[in-house]
Amino acid sequence: MKGFNIAIVGLGGQGIITMGTVLKNAALDSDLKDVSGSERRGGAQREGYVETFVKYIFYEKESELRDPRKNIHSPMIQSGGADVLISLEPLETLRGAHYINKNSTVIFNKIPHIPISVRMGQACYPDISDIRSRLKNICGRVFEYDFDGLSLSNFNSLMQRNIIALGVLFSKTDIPIDKPIIEGILSKGKGGKENLEAFHLGLEVS
Amino acid sequence: MSRKNLLINGKKGDKAILLGNEAIARGAIEAGIGYASMYPGTPASEIIIALDKNKQYIENFYSEFSLNEHVSLHGAIGASWSGVRALCAMKNVGLNVASEPAHFLAYTGVKAGLVIAIGSDPGAPSSSNEQDDRWYSFHTGMPIMEPADIQEAKDFTRDAFGISEKFSFGIILNAPARLCHNAGTIHFDDPKDRAGIEGNFIKDPDNYLNLFNLVVKNHNKYIKRGNLLKEFLSNSPFNFAITWPPQSSGKGMGRERTGFISAGVIYSHLIESLNILEEKDNKILKLGFTYPISEELIGDFVKDLDRVVIVEEGEGFLEFQIKKIAYEIGFKGKIHGKDIFKMAGELTLDDVITGLSEFLCKSTPEYFDISVRKSAEVEEALPQRSGTFCIGCPHRATIYSVLKAIGFSHTDGKERDNVVIAGDIGCYTLSLLPPYNAMDFLTCMNAGLGIGQAISRFDKKKKVIALVGDSTFFHSGIPVLLNAVQNNADVLYIILDNSWTAMTGHQRTPSTPKCVDGTSLQGSVNIKELVKSLGVTNVKSLDPNSVKRFSSHVKSMLKEKGLKVLIAKRECILQEERRKKILKAESPEKAEAVSLYEIQKERCVKCNECFLELACPAISLKNEKTPGGENLEYYYIDPASCVKCGVCYEICPNSAIRKVEYNLKPVHPGTEGEYERV
Ligand code: SF4
Ligand code: SF4
Repeated sequence: MKGFNIAIVGLGGQGIITMGTVLKNAALDSDLKDVSGSERRGGAQREGYVETFVKYIFYEKESELRDPRKNIHSPMIQSGGADVLISLEPLETLRGAHYINKNSTVIFNKIPHIPISVRMGQACYPDISDIRSRLKNICGRVFEYDFDGLSLSNFNSLMQRNIIALGVLFSKTDIPIDKPIIEGILSKGKGGKENLEAFHLGLEVS
Repeated sequence: MSRKNLLINGKKGDKAILLGNEAIARGAIEAGIGYASMYPGTPASEIIIALDKNKQYIENFYSEFSLNEHVSLHGAIGASWSGVRALCAMKNVGLNVASEPAHFLAYTGVKAGLVIAIGSDPGAPSSSNEQDDRWYSFHTGMPIMEPADIQEAKDFTRDAFGISEKFSFGIILNAPARLCHNAGTIHFDDPKDRAGIEGNFIKDPDNYLNLFNLVVKNHNKYIKRGNLLKEFLSNSPFNFAITWPPQSSGKGMGRERTGFISAGVIYSHLIESLNILEEKDNKILKLGFTYPISEELIGDFVKDLDRVVIVEEGEGFLEFQIKKIAYEIGFKGKIHGKDIFKMAGELTLDDVITGLSEFLCKSTPEYFDISVRKSAEVEEALPQRSGTFCIGCPHRATIYSVLKAIGFSHTDGKERDNVVIAGDIGCYTLSLLPPYNAMDFLTCMNAGLGIGQAISRFDKKKKVIALVGDSTFFHSGIPVLLNAVQNNADVLYIILDNSWTAMTGHQRTPSTPKCVDGTSLQGSVNIKELVKSLGVTNVKSLDPNSVKRFSSHVKSMLKEKGLKVLIAKRECILQEERRKKILKAESPEKAEAVSLYEIQKERCVKCNECFLELACPAISLKNEKTPGGENLEYYYIDPASCVKCGVCYEICPNSAIRKVEYNLKPVHPGTEGEYERV
């Protein structure tokens, strides 16, 4: 049995939950693949911290699937248990940093969203360089992007920033999911064409 | 087939990714329910949302968002007594409201299966209480099932209906937020045929008349049924034991023979923790039913153990029962539980790993320790982030106006010591957070006016303002208001009427005037007329987005004696925006004027009125280098997030915010977004 854990964090309204749902649907193609992962939705739409987990589980054989000591999975990720942390807000990347270990990959959006405590002068928003070095202190693979800018300049709205980030996830990590499966999921429904474009944009940005 | 239809029409062999709440809904569909209801409440809301939004595709089915949990459970009981399987969902504290029907249900029993799905909220991210509803079962007699994952959420719900019928109990399905909002793979089974679902109330006075001597008779009957259920549970597929691994009887390495007992989501934490700690030499009892618990089952499990560890969330509901059983049958070993795991707050996977590692003297993996240590260093320095109102939310305007009317200002350091603001439950609860800090207490539904009217009676030096939302008012606020009328309370009661039960996903309330697609709803209640009819003479209804006007009315009404009701009437901005989008998609040619609000750098003196007092999140701080190399900080309205409510424009004391109107013709035909300025 092998696993691949992804923690996705950000703010309500950024499309964090959608990212999790898309990734989870990619686990439906094989019976030996399982997926779990809870969402913290408390602050949805309201600037609060949101996180969602995607835990892929790969069984090597049928017998593992039936072994009660193996076939059930917590909806949470333990400290240091994430292979990847994706974050759509710099400060929240640090809040999610307890999920990563020295081999993890971090992908984060460098456009800050200032919390009320900072507005009120009760706290300081850390420098991006400080955030970067704190993350690098934990793991080597840290990638940052202006997802807001990429989405705005290519799609005229912020709606695609989460899908662009998904593209980066596929180019920068060895996520054990085939690209065409995700493309198939993204292309369904209205907005499918834009979603695919956003995903490919994410695949190509360096 | 789309996911939505799979939830309703899925067959054996189909699989999907579903939310825990949707899995419960699917289980109910497989069981052939004909009734579903709830008063919406996080984390349980999606259970009924999933069914209600698809109701036209479900044959012989009725669903409703009831006015409160008490009414909702009564409805489910009526359906059950009519021979129709019924699902009633609620959040943890909802059972307090529904506790009266919950207490007679064991006496009268059910006819068709009845399941109460409860979303509990450990850690209380969305509740005013961490209440563990399982304890209710000691006095309601209701059996409890606790699914551990999404598949079980569906399967248990489906099976609960049959058990409910067999033993004539309403069954509680307990699901913490971690399960309600867990999403994962689920395998479907065939749903029951729906063609035969039809109501028929068969009179049954022996059971349904529950008073005088009949009460005692019914009480004896349900004790007997409870014992039969216990017997059934001594050997059922819902509770199972994982025995010693091959070649072991737990005696290896001379250590004490250890067994774990757990249930629900915490059981999944337990299994994962044991794998992470590479701890195999043990037995595990998994309980699907956590009330009642069979003596035989426990006796059988503990007989070859030296110590038992009960892994559970909350204050020790299982430990309480299991200790009683085990010690009564003469178990000589030790039983652990809340001496290892905390009682308050959510019990996380980390908590279970750490607790077990200390108890078993097994070290945690190195990556885990490093991560716990490093993140403690990082998190210490992080600025807090709290939620707030959506951009353009009318509640922000209401709260801002109230605070201004009573002279509060962060910037000028002015407090509001002579006014008590009584809080209540809903989106507007967010006003208790900074920068508003606009609530002096917040407890349960309709406590605002309830407690507030008594404060106004005893503390004559302070004015009392009580806040309530439309949905909360309808839930149980009308009797509280009548009480205030009858006893002439001296309170300003502000009803924040945004037309929807917004926080839980926009269910309609009795006063919702029109659907999101614009069709008007017949017979919607006019809150102002309703309040008048209750005997309030001093009533006003105003648009809070006209902040100056609203604020001056708050000020003048506060000077008047007696009970005053001010209705802040403006629809939830999210619904308004959705409607705009729908209408625009329907008739694109009728696009309305496009405007934009912007802060003129040269005029803004950074007085903070918009940025900190109103604190609209679309207004942010920007940095820029001037040509002279200086760092220029200025306030800025992000056009991509501003919804153009115009409130900041109205309040800026320096006329620094201006409204720019755009021509409707795109500069380059065929492109959206770039418009010519008028
Ligand atoms: S008009 Fe002003 S207050 Fe309204 S959403 Fe835009 S920035 Fe916020
Ligand atoms: S825009 Fe107006 S209200 Fe906002 S800080 Fe500047 S001067 Fe004050």
